[in-house]
Amino acid sequence: MIEREELHDAARKAFPADQLKPARDASWKLIAEMGWLLLPLPEDAGGLGLGRDAATAIHFELGKVLSTAPLAPALIAVQALAAAPDLAGQAGWVERATGGDLITLNLLPGNLTLSESDSLRLSGTLPCVPDADMASHALVFADGIAALVPLDAGTVTVSERRLWDESRRLFDVTLTDHPVAPDLIVARGETAHDIAQRLHGELQLALAADCLGGASAALEMTVEYLKTRKQFDRPLAMFQALKHRCADLKTQVVAAEALLWKRATDENATVTDLGALKALASDVYRLVAEEAIQLHGGIGLTEEHPINLFMKRAMLNLQLGGSLDTWRERAGRQALAALAG
Amino acid sequence: MSEDTHLEALRGEVRAWLDANAPRTWREDYKTMSHAEFADAQRVWFRTLVEGGYAAPHWPAGLAPGSGRSLAEQKVIYEEMARADTPRLLLSFVSTYHAASTFLECGTDEQKARYLPAILKGETWCQGFSEPNAGSDLASLKCKAERQTRDGREVYVINGQKVWSTMAQYADKCLLLVRTSSEGAKQAGITFLLMDMKAKGVSVHPINQIQGDQEFCEMFLDDVEIPVEDRVGEEGKGWAVSQATLSSERGLTLMELSYKMRGALSRIAELIRANGLEDDKGVLRDFGQLVARCDSACAIADQFLQNRIDGIERVGDASIVKNTYSRVLREYSLLGTRLGGIAEQYRAPIVYGDLTTGNWMADFMNSYAWTIAGGSEEVQRNILSERMLEMPREPKSWVL
Repeated sequence: MIEREELHDAARKAFPADQLKPARDASWKLIAEMGWLLLPLPEDAGGLGLGRDAATAIHFELGKVLSTAPLAPALIAVQALAAAPDLAGQAGWVERATGGDLITLNLLPGNLTLSESDSLRLSGTLPCVPDADMASHALVFADGIAALVPLDAGTVTVSERRLWDESRRLFDVTLTDHPVAPDLIVARGETAHDIAQRLHGELQLALAADCLGGASAALEMTVEYLKTRKQFDRPLAMFQALKHRCADLKTQVVAAEALLWKRATDENATVTDLGALKALASDVYRLVAEEAIQLHGGIGLTEEHPINLFMKRAMLNLQLGGSLDTWRERAGRQALAALAG
Repeated sequence: MSEDTHLEALRGEVRAWLDANAPRTWREDYKTMSHAEFADAQRVWFRTLVEGGYAAPHWPAGLAPGSGRSLAEQKVIYEEMARADTPRLLLSFVSTYHAASTFLECGTDEQKARYLPAILKGETWCQGFSEPNAGSDLASLKCKAERQTRDGREVYVINGQKVWSTMAQYADKCLLLVRTSSEGAKQAGITFLLMDMKAKGVSVHPINQIQGDQEFCEMFLDDVEIPVEDRVGEEGKGWAVSQATLSSERGLTLMELSYKMRGALSRIAELIRANGLEDDKGVLRDFGQLVARCDSACAIADQFLQNRIDGIERVGDASIVKNTYSRVLREYSLLGTRLGGIAEQYRAPIVYGDLTTGNWMADFMNSYAWTIAGGSEEVQRNILSERMLEMPREPKSWVL
């Protein structure tokens, strides 16, 4: 708990609240320098030996400033590499990835197909791959294998999709009969499946933390604005109609955050538990961001004011890692099975 | 023994005791009882808890069997009660929490010696705070107390009306807030008295609630005499005493209720199955959303208690816990009412004193007890916005 507080403090110092959407390249360098890429690794693998809540704390703080750096995919790749004993030169890969060589991955399912002739070949498109322009490889999962794909290969094309969310960059990565180099196979069969499952859960946790960090910051910005803005000879923050809306938003954010920290430290939480958390958190973020623009009034509609950036990020977060409907349905099914009569 | 080992040992003890002693068929039993029989059943369960040492774990050591428990220990006890799905102690709640805390923090030694042991023997207290025109704005209460000498005795003579007194129809005594002065700030003229419910001039009428329960009463006080020595604190200092009364419960109830609601999700699962909706995506999504909301309500109730244990509670935290629980309870009962279909519109027996009974329309109606009672949702929003978010208060006076 104390360690986690220290991480929050360190992150707030490195990424101050008044600098939203900090430049990507400088942020990425700083993240590597801070040692945050080592967060999920056990101590004997050169990591910090902290619990899963440590990385969650950083994602939470980076969500507050609308971080532009791809920490979530990077940490997932680090964990995949660390969990792959059969990967040729595993230690070297882990060192590269924790040192700031970005390995990215798709945040929504792609349509990859695996064929086997002289070698394993992959074809298809991976959507929502963050920061593919600065990554050396993408980590891909298909039909029982996990493999690294060099993004500069002739069989790979990378094309950016312009987003409404200006704080992040996502790419489509298309593989055309891409031959998988045997020494780039991270895992096969059960191991590959287990890694994919576990990391899918980690992604949900990272996104949930980003959502609630962002929701906290957007709400704080809104409350501060209402305290400053005067109409009818009084600050808007004095009107009960507006105060009560802020109180309700605060209640939603804090209650969802309580579940975030509980699940972040719960080793038994299933992928669906974490997905249900992400659904809750992203919906709270959406609500707070939606209300934040309304409560800012006219200025909230302008590009000049940053509150809109939270709304755009919130709407993207609703989709990444699986939609609200997807996770709610899975959570409903899981609970129904668990509460068998 | 480490703290964790100690708590887990306690958990084992409580669980074993509950296995042997907790009522099992109460949900069915309560349905066929009259309200008075329900009160009797509550007395029996309370007596069992006193004997087991679990009725007043929060009292200081030595004052009750099993008392002197830390908040962390109390949390374990309540977690186990929620797990065992025991009936809530509605009848004795005001006695063991509000009354006891009032005596312990503000009472004289004589009052403590006289009233605390009696509570364990079954003497029940109710609260005479709210009035028809003093609800959220409690300090504007008007129930009048005049100090007089009657038959050589110094007494307060009380005239007025009280309302929303939980289980007052069965109470022996009442924690009463009265106005002894209308000078100065409205809080300054309030005095805290202890009233015998059998005193001449006290009349109590249960209020029929929208779902058919009678959890609350209104009280009419007509020239009721209360001896001056039955005052807590000084005359005109009753407001401060009432704050001690109201802050007596430290978050355990909402934790217990949140976990009970989490357990009662099985009732929704039963409905989904009974209606063959296991593959209805819309229903599954609504259920999945509710499950996450319930988990979140449990997590915030847990965190609140842990913060209290660690001494890092912030102002407004309690309001967040209450507003979360009460809203999720509404969502829970609404989903049940919806899935239950027309069957829920046919009247069925209610289970007294419980919030997640599976009589969905009744549960829905009863959920207002948590958005309105105990400081309404709107008052909590004021606390949150003004004290946690530090948004400015509205001007105190206004003119049309």
